[in-house]
Amino acid sequence: MRVNEIEGLVLPTKKDEEFIKVNFAELFSYDFKNTKSYKFDIMGLEVRKDTKGYANSLFEITKSLDENQVILTINSNIPEPICLIHKIKEDETFFTNSLKIEVKENVKASVIEVFTNTSNNSAYCLNRTFEVDENANFEYAKVQDINDANYLVFNLDIEQKDNSKCKITNFEYGTGVIINNIVNVLDNKNCDYKLNTLVKSQNSSNTANIINTVHNNENSISNINFKHSLKDKSRTVFKAKSIVNKNALYTKAFQNSNTILLSNDATIYAQPHLEILVDELEASHGATTGTLDKEQLLYLQSRGINKDLAYEILLKAFEQKIYDNIEDKLIKEFIDSYERKSYV
Amino acid sequence: MLEIKNLKVNINDKEILKGLNLNIKEGEIHALMGINGAGKSTLVKTLSAHYDCEVTDGAITYKKKDLLDLDVSQRANEGIFMSFQNPIEVPGVNNSYFLKTAINEKRKYAGQEDIDTMDFLKLIKDQTAKYNLDKKLLQRDLNEGFSGGEKKRNELIQLLLLDPDLIMLDEIDSGLDVDAIKTVANVINSMLDGKKSVLMITHYDRLLELIKPDFVHILNDGQIVKTGDYSLALELDEKGYEGIGIKDESK
Repeated sequence: MRVNEIEGLVLPTKKDEEFIKVNFAELFSYDFKNTKSYKFDIMGLEVRKDTKGYANSLFEITKSLDENQVILTINSNIPEPICLIHKIKEDETFFTNSLKIEVKENVKASVIEVFTNTSNNSAYCLNRTFEVDENANFEYAKVQDINDANYLVFNLDIEQKDNSKCKITNFEYGTGVIINNIVNVLDNKNCDYKLNTLVKSQNSSNTANIINTVHNNENSISNINFKHSLKDKSRTVFKAKSIVNKNALYTKAFQNSNTILLSNDATIYAQPHLEILVDELEASHGATTGTLDKEQLLYLQSRGINKDLAYEILLKAFEQKIYDNIEDKLIKEFIDSYERKSYV
Repeated sequence: MLEIKNLKVNINDKEILKGLNLNIKEGEIHALMGINGAGKSTLVKTLSAHYDCEVTDGAITYKKKDLLDLDVSQRANEGIFMSFQNPIEVPGVNNSYFLKTAINEKRKYAGQEDIDTMDFLKLIKDQTAKYNLDKKLLQRDLNEGFSGGEKKRNELIQLLLLDPDLIMLDEIDSGLDVDAIKTVANVINSMLDGKKSVLMITHYDRLLELIKPDFVHILNDGQIVKTGDYSLALELDEKGYEGIGIKDESK
């Protein structure tokens, strides 16, 4: 099975403005021996046909292979995060999986998803929909640890109702080919949307983050904050587009990408982008790229800390800001203690 | 302890130190004075292996070792401490964690075990209380958002806990009020045990009044041009550089 041979599918290319610099060719032309729907290890979840029309065609890949969507409904406050662990074991297989998380009115909930693999030349194409009802507070963390010669396409569509909070923190650790496609159309009032991501790449990993946010109503906040620490020949794309439409008065829209390049061969293409059609708002966007501060490195070394350790301390300090943004204590603990070997 | 012979140092291909000679023995206090741009900071930066400094000629022997063979952290672990003129802010690195790591690196270098956490806390409590240094500085990130005075006090805490053999103070008195200068002097004087040596750069007599130097050197155009005792600093304070025959070569 080749993705580019799926009938009726109009696939994006790296020439499309929205996906510029994202290299799809390798994934779309790869001939997978099998296709499979990845099943959750949870009994009794409702399954519905996914009839939603999504913002871009990357969502259609999963839908075209499996139109069913598993529904996880959270009706009441949950004291601990729900943990979903995905382990891809089979080689040469194109997996799909679609999940909708519904967080009902006034509910506080959190979910962690971990994606790992022991497979070779497999792909995992996922659709996620988060529906966060009025006054609900949802915190989600994703650990992506998909390694060499494997692919992950993570499509996320978020729907927030009035006065809802949705906080997403992603940890991109893997060395495979990763495409994150995150869409949030804020049609309602007083929504708080935070997207924090740490991309910690090495070897020949290839990670793309395509983030589209649209403000269509008053008083909502979108805060997109990415930190990249890139080693070896890793390659990363950060494309964030936030549109603030005419009705979205008093919006706060922020985008920030900070990158530390730890080798001469690591690359980042960062493009934060704001489109603003209203005057009454607060907005900022920025991207920085550099290496570790040599003055700071020298200061630590001058107190006897060897160069490698000083390097490690400064890198950890840079990355720490993403951890610090996590609100849920138990998610923090989970991320702190995460080790790939425990999940493969 | 430290012997510098014919030291020539370039910064950005410009020769700053032009054949400097200096000998510091155990227990001695040396003050280095000179007009701006004479090379004072370049000397202490060279001794602590700052990346800006390129040694083109000369030799530095420290505790019978070739100092130029040692990197920045090795020099620190051999007992050289440079107090920065402008201590660097390092957001995200907790001050206390940094200090404990530095102590443990020094202990590891000396073949000792890591410091016990309780011993570390006790050490901090004792030393900060002794000199009325604000222990809360240790709960914050390293120098982040510190005032000029707080940064210098933080340098003193590091100095006390790392217990070096050669203390180099690069204008530690700049921007400090009278009380803070007294604290600096108290810390330094209390550390002097007849074995530790001090090399301090200052423009002002106030610090020298409180930490009496054995030798005062005047640096001009990359070389030590005059050496005397504390009276030389007093004479300089009274007459100025021109008055004691030092001509600004950059003019």
